[in-house]
Amino acid sequence: MFLEIKDLSVKIENKNILNGLNLNINKGEVHAIMGPNGCGKSTLANVLAGKEDYEILNGKINFKDNDLFDLNIEERAQEGMFLAFQYPVEIPGVNITPFLHSAINSKRKRMNEEEIDNLSFAKLLKSKASDLGINIDMLKRSVNTGFSGGEKKRYEILQMSILNPDLAILDETDSGLDIDALKIVTDGVNKLKTKDNSFLIITHYQKLLDYIKPDYVHVMVNGSIVKSGGSEIAAEIEKDGFQKFQ
Amino acid sequence: MNIQDIYQKNRKNIFFSENKDIETHREKLINIFENDRFDKKNNESLKNINLKNFIDFKYKYLIPEETSVINNNHENSYSIVSVNGQCSTFKDDKIEITKILDEDYNDFSKNNTIEKNDHFVNLNSLFLNSGFKIVIKRNNNIKIKISNIVTDDDLTIFQKNNIICQEGSSLSLIEEYENKNNSTSNILNVIKLEKHSQLNHFLIQDNSSNHNLIITSHSSCKKDSTYTQKVYNFSEGYVRNFHYSELIETNSEADLQGIFFLKDNNTSNNKTFVKHLAQDCKSNQVYKGILNDRAKATYFSNTHVDQVAQKTEGYQLSKGILLSDSASYFSKPELKIYADDVKCSHGSTIGPIDENAIFYLRSRGMSKIAATKILISSFINEELSSIDNEQMSEIIQKKLVRYLSKVK
Repeated sequence: MFLEIKDLSVKIENKNILNGLNLNINKGEVHAIMGPNGCGKSTLANVLAGKEDYEILNGKINFKDNDLFDLNIEERAQEGMFLAFQYPVEIPGVNITPFLHSAINSKRKRMNEEEIDNLSFAKLLKSKASDLGINIDMLKRSVNTGFSGGEKKRYEILQMSILNPDLAILDETDSGLDIDALKIVTDGVNKLKTKDNSFLIITHYQKLLDYIKPDYVHVMVNGSIVKSGGSEIAAEIEKDGFQKFQ
Repeated sequence: MNIQDIYQKNRKNIFFSENKDIETHREKLINIFENDRFDKKNNESLKNINLKNFIDFKYKYLIPEETSVINNNHENSYSIVSVNGQCSTFKDDKIEITKILDEDYNDFSKNNTIEKNDHFVNLNSLFLNSGFKIVIKRNNNIKIKISNIVTDDDLTIFQKNNIICQEGSSLSLIEEYENKNNSTSNILNVIKLEKHSQLNHFLIQDNSSNHNLIITSHSSCKKDSTYTQKVYNFSEGYVRNFHYSELIETNSEADLQGIFFLKDNNTSNNKTFVKHLAQDCKSNQVYKGILNDRAKATYFSNTHVDQVAQKTEGYQLSKGILLSDSASYFSKPELKIYADDVKCSHGSTIGPIDENAIFYLRSRGMSKIAATKILISSFINEELSSIDNEQMSEIIQKKLVRYLSKVK
């Protein structure tokens, strides 16, 4: 199993958010989690990425034969986990290019791979940015600083394509995107899909799943998965909402 | 020993002690100390320090044995080595360096902007034992680097410097303070900018933990002149930076910036004060601090806009990052506006490093320590990238790397 979440319960500030959640993802699969506001979707994404604000009450997570809780935030990233943030953080003064260069080399170092030099990285970045319709001038700016909502999401996908993760978690990447931006972002994701990597897509709406076809759709309510199935569930939610699952 | 006794014992080593007017002024100052007649409450010069350590001191001054050196290099560039607050006299067609005179003292003692309640300035006037005067002659464009060296342990340097930029002149001045001995330097810079002149003043402070550095400066700007001051404090010992600026004629500007990097038990007190006394003038006061361990800092900023100073633009900003729960930074921005057509602002933000930014960077594979360091660098990136002097930029980068290497 690529990612195995077993009976996960999590709380933050005395409030239980995840309650005995189970989820298994195999290599090459695309899973979508849908659920109403406040059901714990983003908490799951943050817990997987290692955010330290949460208290793990119970459960286990295995990722690529590692106990995930033994790995800190950066080790998870270096092992191939990537979280595309719902609200990417603005970091004025940190230039995009050296930041991403440093990020890719930290992963390569852990994998005992040769570090990528400046020139090769610049070429890689330019080509990936061009694929995503990102202006080269944007790469001279500070991380997410002064970006529009759409630019931030596109930049998240650019980072994802550079880091080429084994498991990408997309936390409401569709939120705040117009239809053209949504198409660019989802095209970027589809180009990255291979039989060796997996995706966990968190969304409210079926629209995103029109562009990225999931193998499995899960409905999350009150911190647990209450129903799993294929794309037909997304259509069901689009039609009737989440009410009937609650 | 009290102040009176210290003064009398060392009188012959103190500048201008034969001048009656100056002696009268000093008697008044002694009276303030002796009778404890000063406002201790809300006194910005006393915050975070034990004044007793500075009043009850052992006076020691050594006249430097070797004549300090001035090298006249290419491209209008000069290097000055100031030893125990003194340097040799020098004159060419561009600059003139002389000893300070009685009249320079009097000129300062009549100045109303620097607070009379500032004990360090009063001590400087009382025990004055060194200093020099630099005049940049009309329409010259000059670079000067001053290395301030203190030769021995236990020295008490009380130094007053006058810097005058004559009409149309331009000066880039770098001052380095890198002393490793157990001594105290109390320095007062009085700076005058004549019409159409410009001074870019950089102060790099990197003393060891047993060296106290107290710097006060007062600049006055005439028509179309600009004074820019950038202070970089990497010292491990106590540093006080109090800088006052008066914009006395139209279209003049003052830009007072500072960054301090503190750790261990170190303390730094900072103050900037700009007085707008003419219309169409601009000022900017920006201080940023990074404090680790149990370090403490204060920053007082003040923009005073006189009623004649219409069309003033005056901005203040104070920012601090606390890297430890035990570090503290007190900031107090003030505006006093007596004109009605002005643009002024002030702001202050102090807090720990942004945990969301740390998480974001770590989630891309960067270690916590690397993420912390990159965020500290980004915090001061704007100020560092605006340094247009390559030599300065390199020096500051090296010192920043050294400071960051101690951040855990």
